[in-house]
Amino acid sequence: MKFSFTDDQRMLAGAVREVLEKSCPPETVRAAAGGERPGPAWRALADVGLLGAHVPEEHGGLGLTPLDTVLAFEETGWFAVPGPLVETAVAAPLLVPDARLAEIAAGTLVVSVASPLLPDADIADLHVVGDRVAPSGETDLTRHTSADAARPLFSAPRDELPAGPAFDRAALATAAQLLGLGRRLRAEAVSYAGQRRQFGAVIGSFQAVKHQLADVAIALEFAAPLVHRAAYALAHDAPSAPRDVSAAKDAASRAAHGAARTALQVHGAIGYTDELDLQLWLNRVWALRPAWGDDGLHRARLRDALLGDGPAAERLP
Amino acid sequence: MELTFTPRQRAFRAEVRDWLAAHVPAGPLPSMDTADGFARHRAWERALADAGLAAVSWPVEYGGRGAGLIDWLIFEEEYWAAGAPGRVGQNGIFLLAPTLLAYGTPEQKARHLPRMVRADDVWAQAWSEPEAGSDLASLRATATPDGDGWRLNGQKTWSSRAAYADWCFGLFRSDPGSSRHRGLTYFMLPLDSPGVTVRPIAQLDGEHGFAEIFFDDVRVGPDGVLGGIGQGWKVAMATTSSERGLTLRSPGRFMATADRLLDLARTSADQTLRDAAVRAWSDSEAYRLHTFAAAARLAEGEELGAASSLMKVFWSELDLRMHELALDLLGPRAPLAGRWLDGFLFALAGPIYAGTNEIQRNIIAERVLGLPR
Repeated sequence: MKFSFTDDQRMLAGAVREVLEKSCPPETVRAAAGGERPGPAWRALADVGLLGAHVPEEHGGLGLTPLDTVLAFEETGWFAVPGPLVETAVAAPLLVPDARLAEIAAGTLVVSVASPLLPDADIADLHVVGDRVAPSGETDLTRHTSADAARPLFSAPRDELPAGPAFDRAALATAAQLLGLGRRLRAEAVSYAGQRRQFGAVIGSFQAVKHQLADVAIALEFAAPLVHRAAYALAHDAPSAPRDVSAAKDAASRAAHGAARTALQVHGAIGYTDELDLQLWLNRVWALRPAWGDDGLHRARLRDALLGDGPAAERLP
Repeated sequence: MELTFTPRQRAFRAEVRDWLAAHVPAGPLPSMDTADGFARHRAWERALADAGLAAVSWPVEYGGRGAGLIDWLIFEEEYWAAGAPGRVGQNGIFLLAPTLLAYGTPEQKARHLPRMVRADDVWAQAWSEPEAGSDLASLRATATPDGDGWRLNGQKTWSSRAAYADWCFGLFRSDPGSSRHRGLTYFMLPLDSPGVTVRPIAQLDGEHGFAEIFFDDVRVGPDGVLGGIGQGWKVAMATTSSERGLTLRSPGRFMATADRLLDLARTSADQTLRDAAVRAWSDSEAYRLHTFAAAARLAEGEELGAASSLMKVFWSELDLRMHELALDLLGPRAPLAGRWLDGFLFALAGPIYAGTNEIQRNIIAERVLGLPR
């Protein structure tokens, strides 16, 4: 029993953080909303190996497991990286023909996958809907205006999701991003609460503010082990993996949503503006919470796993 | 990351499981907060000690097994899954003993630990006072030098188990000019000392789970001081940090509750309650995994510190939520006496004891998040 990460796993996350500090400041996310997608972070993530992390080595990738990359995906959430990253780096390697894998690792192929909406389909080279993979010119998609301007959404004629490991792995990576987003929102709120003065004191000294932020910290703290365990279960092909992924996505979604609500409340009216960068992370939470399985889908999977007719709930893989 | 147990750990789990299957009383014991129930729980502690299971994490010389944290967590999972009785020796074994092992003299350890593990002495805590609850550092009970020892005066309250316990431990102000955290000393003394009066307090459930303790010129020898005169706050915090962190409420207790909650939810058609039960089970997993992660951090030489406050809020509110859900699932039968009602009444105390959750949230905000005081 050793519930911790290896140095290599932490180093990959550290490397991702380092390149995103440079290539993905808030201005980059704003530029993505203005049309510059996927933007400079994409190249940086290809160079650091994350785009090819789940591409087998014989196709130019690193052949890593979800456990190896889960911390790195948390970092990509922190920076609200533009572009269909989970779709291209996590789902696509299990869905597109082997001949295209090297392009994913090289950062030259952008893939949008329906979950059931397709993010960034307008800049994608390939579209995946259900089990069908098609070049972007050959799919019939409708563009929608949606919550996160940096992540346009498109719908296919029918709502479909990829089955099996591609879905679970992408749901896990999305949960990891939501954790990172939640932590970013917590950090922004704590920072603001330590500066903003009212009634002659910084508002972070007021208990009503402290306790809300403490609740954010608690929810994030206890969502993380579920996300990490789901990564372990996927990496070991454990029979409990789908259940563990749903527990992770459900907990991470709720923790991130709570962090977003509290961060907005702590900022007050200024948080409700387009001008403040806070909106970049808020809108990404509204966008990712329903992606790769909304709460209802994951709750239903948990219910079936725990209350269904199957064997009693096993605790660990 | 490795989420499996070693063959030795699996063998230990099997030993604990087999022993419990053979020895756990068929029905629940009478409440430990009655004279009869206290005696029955004391006998149970003795049986556990004879099997070497009363305090597996203690050193072997004092009646433990020198087991590591993971083994202790395994023991706890099996213990609560088996429906074994509550631990009447809890205050001594899990709160005082870690402090005694860290700060006690060899004589103090040899005198108290072997009797504690067999429940020959059951210990009560004497922290809170009528005017010092969440604000513990405002405590007023005094210790005055008297020859080579001390005289204790004052009043303690909300002392769990004190109605029937043999000894108590707590903080007294030994420097009359001091205030707040300074000038406090940690004392251990028998509750049958001359000048000690214990007045049991009936709880919500009508039983005497805690008591007031009055100290009227109570003589304590020099061997009653734990960890140095005036060092009481530092010594006591060593206890409360282990209390809040890992040793007071291990995941095993909540996993067992969550498993029973799922059994109850399976019989219900109410989708809202079923979903809430499933989520509570998932949260019990989160607490378990978080504890394994904390154990890994400790093994790497890190300290838990204020992070233990996150855990205390989480487990106490999870426990209460699970029992509230169970009562909802029981519907009209919720108020009938039984395990869920007992558990609910006990869970209600969780957000209050061991540092209220309001105090814990302050600690999280100030020491984990770095917000200003």
